[in-house]
Parts: sequence; structure tokens; C-alpha cells
Amino acid sequence: MEIDPEEAKQAVLEYCLRKGALAAGVADLGALERIAPPGHRPSDLMPKVKSVISLGVGGQTQGAWSVPAKAMGYFGSTETRAYTIAYGAAFFIESKYQKPSIYCPPDMDNEKGPRVPLQSLKLHAEVAGIGARSLAGDILLHPEFGYMYFASIFTELELPPDQPMAENPCPAPSCVSMYRQIGRTPCQKFCPVQCLSGHIDEAGKQAEMHYDMAACAEMSQQYEAVPAMLAEAMAAEDDQAREEALFDPDNKMLWYKMSVGSGGLLAQCFECMRVCPIATQSPMADPIRRAIAKTDA
Amino acid sequence: MARGLNRRQIGVTSAMIDSYGELIFQWSHNIQTRRGDPVRELDFEAISAQRHELGLSDGQIAERIGLSEIQVMYIRAMMERRRFNTTRFARLLELGGGKRFREERFMAHEDRFHYHDDALALRDAMTFDPARTRHYGEQGWWADGTLSGWLARHASERPEAPAIIQGGEVLNYAQLAARVDTLAGGLHGLGLGPGDVIAVQLPNLTEYLLSYLAIARLGAVMTTLYMPHREREFETLLGHSRARAIICLSDAGGFAAAECALNLDLPKLQSVIAVGAAAPGAVAFADLADGSPSADQMKLPCPVAADPFLLLYTSGTTASPKAVPHNSHTMLGNARLGVGEHLLGPDDILLSAPPFGHLFALYSFHMAMSAGAANLLLPSFTPPALAATIEAGGATVLLAAPAHMAACLGMGLFEAHDCSSLKLAILSGSAVREEMARAVAAKLPDCAITQLWGMTETQGGLYTRPGDGIEIAAASAGRPAPGAEARIAGDGELQVRGSMLFPGYFDNPDANKSAFTEDGWFRSGDLAAEDGEGNIAITGRIKDIINRGGVKYNPREIEDLLDSHPGIAQSAIVPMPDEVLGERACCFAVATDPGIDLESLCQYLLGHGIAKTKLPERLVLVDEMPLTPTRKIIKGRLSLPLED
Ligand code: SF4
Ligand code: SF4
Repeated sequence: MEIDPEEAKQAVLEYCLRKGALAAGVADLGALERIAPPGHRPSDLMPKVKSVISLGVGGQTQGAWSVPAKAMGYFGSTETRAYTIAYGAAFFIESKYQKPSIYCPPDMDNEKGPRVPLQSLKLHAEVAGIGARSLAGDILLHPEFGYMYFASIFTELELPPDQPMAENPCPAPSCVSMYRQIGRTPCQKFCPVQCLSGHIDEAGKQAEMHYDMAACAEMSQQYEAVPAMLAEAMAAEDDQAREEALFDPDNKMLWYKMSVGSGGLLAQCFECMRVCPIATQSPMADPIRRAIAKTDA
Repeated sequence: MARGLNRRQIGVTSAMIDSYGELIFQWSHNIQTRRGDPVRELDFEAISAQRHELGLSDGQIAERIGLSEIQVMYIRAMMERRRFNTTRFARLLELGGGKRFREERFMAHEDRFHYHDDALALRDAMTFDPARTRHYGEQGWWADGTLSGWLARHASERPEAPAIIQGGEVLNYAQLAARVDTLAGGLHGLGLGPGDVIAVQLPNLTEYLLSYLAIARLGAVMTTLYMPHREREFETLLGHSRARAIICLSDAGGFAAAECALNLDLPKLQSVIAVGAAAPGAVAFADLADGSPSADQMKLPCPVAADPFLLLYTSGTTASPKAVPHNSHTMLGNARLGVGEHLLGPDDILLSAPPFGHLFALYSFHMAMSAGAANLLLPSFTPPALAATIEAGGATVLLAAPAHMAACLGMGLFEAHDCSSLKLAILSGSAVREEMARAVAAKLPDCAITQLWGMTETQGGLYTRPGDGIEIAAASAGRPAPGAEARIAGDGELQVRGSMLFPGYFDNPDANKSAFTEDGWFRSGDLAAEDGEGNIAITGRIKDIINRGGVKYNPREIEDLLDSHPGIAQSAIVPMPDEVLGERACCFAVATDPGIDLESLCQYLLGHGIAKTKLPERLVLVDEMPLTPTRKIIKGRLSLPLED
């Protein structure tokens, strides 16, 4: 079967957009293979991979930015929509072009503990040109769509790659002026665990981004919390301390999250995004803005 | 385990974790630094140069440092566990909805307030029967009222209403709230906080109520010392209560209270706060009450009703102290429920004859605070001062002991002063003699006279209501307060329980053993009788019963007769041990006729129908009786002289 790579790319990306992605692109496989560490390269997951397609879906609705922080964790779950689209795209490629494809598992590498993913979806998206690393711990931002959730498709179908974004929208002009005044950007200032710092250069570009990911993960993912609770219970001085270690409201919630796999706060706390002008004010960042844009068009 | 292998199989030791852990953690993705934007720019050279800062995989770290990948994986995971801070997530709980994290306002969990051991021990003493707790909650007898909550409410709803009147000075609720807020801030500045016991020894001055309210605002606990208390009582009570501070006069009528407190060997007593002239080594009350950042400015948390806030001593001021803890549920609930029963309202002006160290005076203050009424202060009781204060301050409600009233009656003060503002006089603190109650009623015809029975442990347990009339009020202490229940045991003892009852003595298990019946009722130690209509009269004290050769009798009736004898000002009959009969009666008396003797008294009693077997068999004349603040005779302090 003769396949025109440009046409195929067009068809696959259109499929993704039609199904609800805000942005989609093809990452340069060679670049990914060079940047990702061994064990986490695309070819480590799919040896005959020829192309990596990345897509992004919208994150929070506009209303979500005003809820209490403890409820914000429940709003980040649009990634499942991204995975569904990626899953559909893999089927689409296989049925249309007969090329083996997968949607890239977004989860953890189960031999390395819960802080190491199998693949970096962020790297795929960045190289595919649908997001750029921000001062907020490298969260990818897009000048039009703000803050998105990403999914990837690996395929043996060869597609011409896109380029990374020519410009990084972060820091936004208002963040640069805040930095000039107080030495910090909004995300840095308002992160509850103060895990962000860095510098902006004379030209208003990112010079250095420092991210204490461990502190961010303690806040939001709490991977060590359940074992820590058990350790505390074992070391408890008396029955009351043991009871507290296992059954206080915080710890009971952890058991709940663990057993039900829910309870919010599975990825991040979003306080950095709540104050980020790109995440919250980009022209297509949320359904209200997108609807207005459509009406205007 | 890593890949199913344990430490011994992969050759990782504790020493290796200690040695390499920090470096591995830093090089891993846990700590990331990015210079420029090398990935977006596909600047592979820059990426390669800063790889260990961007975050290395376990395999990459292993290669760099000369460990195996599995060893790095294991050590990294252990470091992640060791560095994990379980309280981080809680920082989120106060954010959102317009509130952002502010580093300068944030206090780490480990630095936040925690109760010290003494405070926890006192909180531990607040143990209530779960079924009763539920009942009181369901009935609404235990609610959320606290002194600081009430003060804040009145200050906002009726800021101009008078709260404290002392002499010609009036403090309205807004002014009171502001001064309390500042003083609470000042106490906080001394390192005092929730659960700390702060003692107060002051006359009934504005400073007393400021101190009490500030202590309450702080969530601390007030313990009271009576004005006659001296070094021995200071040492015992401040030591037993684990007081961290005392607020007292620098000069209490010749007694240097602040200096005395400073010289005590009590390591827990960290601050002595002196009211009045400066006392070297003491903190000046005036400095604390003026110019400190206020409790509200510092956003000090407000207490809740379940917090203990009073620790009152009933007896044993020098040995085996009986300390009664109360929280707002037991203490303020009783006052709040009493307001309606006593027909009090926000326009009332309450005056207490007893000192604030005594429960009855606190009951008065609590009712005023609940109703938003005014507190008229009588710094120190003398009969003329009481009558003059009623007249000058326009008191509408008077809480006084029978002895206070008897003294005023005896001096004709109700005729000499205009006391017509009084609409209610509540008599309590010791047994009320019927004739005395009737005499007061006759002198104050527009004032309802009621009688209240209470103890530090029970507060206002029984009382007559203003509409009952003098017949009932003179003869009985009335019916249980809302939330209270009373019963008379087989031996005639009055037993009570209810939402106003203290939970048990603090740090005195022996006293607690005998204080409660098996089914949880408090043994009052008072003898009582019911009139068939639910009104209960207090007839004496169990301890006062005299057992003369197996014939038991209550000496109260004889004491009442003796007190009406023209040659006797005050009498008390106590048992004296006797080898043959077990006990005989000894009469202690303050005589107004120095020629009085046992023979003439016995003739007087026989003439009033008293049986021969009940006559006192010894007479001891004393200059004055040992008295409680409500002028009740402390019989335990009457010591029998050796046989002559
Ligand atoms: S997700 Fe939360 S903890 Fe993590 S960087 Fe953003 S604000 Fe900080
Ligand atoms: S707030 Fe957003 S745009 Fe501003 S510096 Fe942070 S991530 Fe960049």
C-alpha cells in the first residue's frame, strides 16, 4: 500500500483534532531517542517505532480556577480524554494504514517506583511543538491553549516530524514585570511548598529554572505516604499513637485514595497554574474563551 | 526490594545509603535545574552538558558514580522515603477561593502550637460519660457558647451597652472587648497560650474581669486565689494547678502578693503580673494591657466550649487540694440556661457581693455576659459599701450570701439607702434562715427574693424562681436548674447530676472515688428534704451530723436558734469525740454578751423545745469564725481546745 507521509500526517492529526484534541503534532523520533535516557526511549517501548504523535486536550474549565485548593485536584482529569483520543488514533492508523501502532501508556515504570514514568509524554509534546517548558517546574504551556494534558501515539507509520515551538510563551510579560519588581514570578511566589525558583534574563527569557520535584510530589502525589503511615504505626509508642497513625482523617483519606484510586491530587496541586496568566488567560485556554473565539469567527 | 531482590542480594548497606543517598537524590529527577531552553531548541550539546541537573535516570546515575542501576534505584527509593514530609499536603487546605499561599504568613506544622503536658493532663481530666454527653448535646444544654464568643457578639451588636461599672467608671462592651483583646495579646507575648493555667488573686476590680476574659480569649485556664490567701496557699494551689503565671496586686493591703509569688520555688510559674505599683521582677499589668499587639491582630485562635477554662479550688488549700475543672459546656451552659429562669435581660445590672474568686460571683458574671447585661463591681464587701453600691449603681439584680444580707439588715442599711432598683436578690453560699429571707423580703417589697443552692462542682444546681414567692424561697432552695437533676438518697444526702456538673477533681483520685455514686451522681454532702411539690430544702451537712450514743441528729436547727439568741452573733455546733458515747456536741460561738455561758444557753434551747439529748455539752467562745468568701463557717477549721 502506497502511503503519502504528508497526507497520512494530515489525516492522523485531523483525526485527533476532530476527536477533541486542541493541538497535535509529530515529534522528531531521532531527537527523542537522543534526549530520553536509556530505558525510556520510544524504541525501548516499541522497537520498530517510526513516529511519535503527540496531542493535547484542554485542562481545567475556567470555573475550576476559583475552587478551593483541596478540590482542584479533581479537575485535572482531562488526561483520560487525551488517552482516549490517542487510543482511537492508534486504531485509526492501524485500520487505515495497516501499520502497527500503540497509544503510549501514560503510567509509571513499574520496576522503578512510582516517580519514574515509562515515557515522558512531556518530552514528546515539546519536541512535537505543542508546548514549551515553563518556569513552573517545566509544565508545558501553549500560547493559545494554555495548559494542556498530553497523550502520545507510537506507530510504525513514518510521518514527517514537526519542529518544537519557535518561541517560549513563558514567562508572560506580566510575569517578567513581577520578576523585575520582586525577583519572583507568580508561580514561584505562590507555590505552597516553594519548590520553584529561577531567573529571567535581560531579554525577558528563561535563564534558569529550578524545581524541587520531590517537594512538589510530596505535596501532590504522596507516593510515600501510605508506607510512611505504616512505619509510623509500627513505631508508635502506644495504642493511641497507633490509632492516630492509621485512622486519623488524613491517613484514612490515603487509604481511600489507595483503594479507590481517587480522591484528587494525583498529579499536581495546580496552585502554580492558578496564578499563571498563560494557563488561565490564553485565548483558547478554556471552554468559555473557545466559545467566544468561535462566535467571533 | 528492587526487582524482587533484597538489600543483601543487591549488596546495599546502610552505609551506602548514608554515603551515596544525597548525591543520588540530587542527580535524580527529584531535583531539577534547567539553564536556558535546550530541549525546545534541540541543543543537544547543552542538554548533554546539564544532564545531571535536568535529572538523570537511575541507569545514568549508576554509570556516573560506579554503582549498579539496581543499587541506585534502591538507594533513591530509600532517600525518597526518608525525605518524605507527611504534612506538606496540608498546606493546601487553606488555599483557593481567592486565598494564595504566602510564605511570610506560613508557619510549618512542626513549629505550630502544641499543648504542653500539664495542659493535656488537665484536658484529660475533662472526661464525661458518653451517654450523658450525647443527651446534653441533643437537649441543647451544651452548645458553642464561650466567654470570648459572647463578648465579641455583644461588642458587635451592642457596642455602647455598659459592661462593667466600677465606681463612676463605665466600660462599654466595645471598650471591654478592645481591652481584653490587647491584654490577651500581652499575655500571649509572655509565652502564655491555650491550656496554660493562670492564677488570679485580685479584689472585684475591673482588672479582675479583664484578666479573666483575656485568659479565656487565649484559651488558657483561670484558677482563683482568695484575697486572704498567703504564702502557704500560694505554694499549694499554684503548685497543684501547675500555674504558669499569676496576676495579683503588688500590695494587697500590706501583703506583697507579687513579691511573695516571685519568691516561691515553683519552676513552672514563669510570670508574675502585678496590678498596681511596680514590683521588681514582676511584669506590670498596665504594660500588658496597653500597647501589646492584640490577640485578634495576631489571629490567635479562639477557644471552643469544650476547652477547660476554669480550675477552682473548693477546699484543702494547704493539703490535698480539691481542684474543680470546668469547661464552657458545664460552666457557661448553666449560666446561659439560668438567664431565662431568673428572668434576666440585657438591661439588667448585676451586682455580686462575694468576690469573683468564688463560684457564686462567677455565676453572676457569667449570666451578665450571657445576657449582655452590666456588671456592677463591689471591690471589697462591707455592709455599707454594698448598700451604697446598690443605690449608686442602680443594681437590678443582687447575688449575695445570707450573711451579707443579715449584716445589712442588722445595720438598717436597706432603710438608709434607696435599694428600690433591685428587682431580684438571689441568696446563696450558705444555709438561708427563713426569718432572714422574710425580713429581706419585707425590706425590699419590689424585689423578688430567691434562694439558690450550688457548689463549685455543681454551680447553680437548684433554685427558686422569681415568681415562686417568699414562702417557697424562704423555705427551700427550689427546683433543679435546666439540665440538672436532683435526688435525695436514703441517708438524706442530696445528689445531683446534669449538664452543669464538673467531670471530677483534677489530680485527686482519692477525692474522686468518694465524690460520685456508682451510677454517676455527685454526692453533695448536703442533707436535703423535699416538700412534696418538688422544692428541695437544704437541712444541713452530712459531716455535721452528731452521733451521740447512736442517736443521730442534725445540729442545724439548734444553730439557727442560737443565732437568734440576743447574746450570740454566730454559732456552730461540731461533734467532739467521746469515749463513752462516741460523740457529743460542742458549741462554738461569737458572743455579743461576754457573760454568756453554757447553762443559760441550754435553758434557752430547752425553752424552745429542744430535746435534752441534743443540747451542746461544751461551749467555746471565739472572737471570730473562720469563714468562706460567702461568709459560711468553715467548721473544719474550728479546733477543739484541750480539756480543761
Ligand atoms: S503543582 Fe503545586 S507544588 Fe507543584 S510546582 Fe505547582 S504549585 Fe508547586
Ligand atoms: S506564571 Fe506561568 S507564565 Fe508566568 S513564569 Fe510562571 S509558568 Fe511562566
